[in-house]
Amino acid sequence: MSDNKKRILEMLAKNKISADDAYRLLSAIDGGEGRRESAGKAETAVKGKAKYLRVTVLPNPESERSGSCDRVNIRVPMSLIRAGIKLTSLIPSEARDKVNLALHEKGIDFDVRNMKPEDIEDLIGALSDLEVDVVSSKGENVRVFVE
Amino acid sequence: MKRPPTLMHLRIQGERGGFGLWLPLFLLLPLALVVFILLSPLILVATIILWPSGWGKRASFSLRAAIEIFWSMRGLSIDIHSGHQCVSISVA
Repeated sequence: MSDNKKRILEMLAKNKISADDAYRLLSAIDGGEGRRESAGKAETAVKGKAKYLRVTVLPNPESERSGSCDRVNIRVPMSLIRAGIKLTSLIPSEARDKVNLALHEKGIDFDVRNMKPEDIEDLIGALSDLEVDVVSSKGENVRVFVE
Repeated sequence: MKRPPTLMHLRIQGERGGFGLWLPLFLLLPLALVVFILLSPLILVATIILWPSGWGKRASFSLRAAIEIFWSMRGLSIDIHSGHQCVSISVA
């Protein structure tokens, strides 16, 4: 039982509100919780259906009109990412060390050797929450998202 | 069950013109299967010979990964425009 419901019942017990008022308030709370629950379920369903990773670069409207603009639209299936990540186990150990060193130089403390097939699903799951939206100084809009 | 890609469309557009190419992957798949069946004894022998050195395991894993990547390509779309040039690849 939520705190709000308890408070309403306490107010009813102390005769601060009538039974009708208590019923109306409880119904309102139930309605709100129901809506939040269904919204949460819908959001989970949308996330569960994430099938593609999208990368788009849209030019600013002025350069689009002049025709001299760059435009990128990439759609990568999640299954392809999943299959590609599995290939990390084929990277030779010398190359892995170089990758680790390069990552460390960029300030990323991550060891590629620690990446296991079990982690792939977690990684894909985390990608579902990813959304990057950047507008450059030239007015170009770069978006990375999952759909 | 995942379905394999059936068609690949490649389009390259330059300032002086361009071309588009439809690749019927569904026709290439049976051909690839026949080639694989014909070469499978050789692949098997090579894998057995190279197994002690570790390369056999790596080669078989690579082959499996390549097939899996090909199977997962359905839905891939790359569309890049730069000025009047354009490269577009889509797999359906």
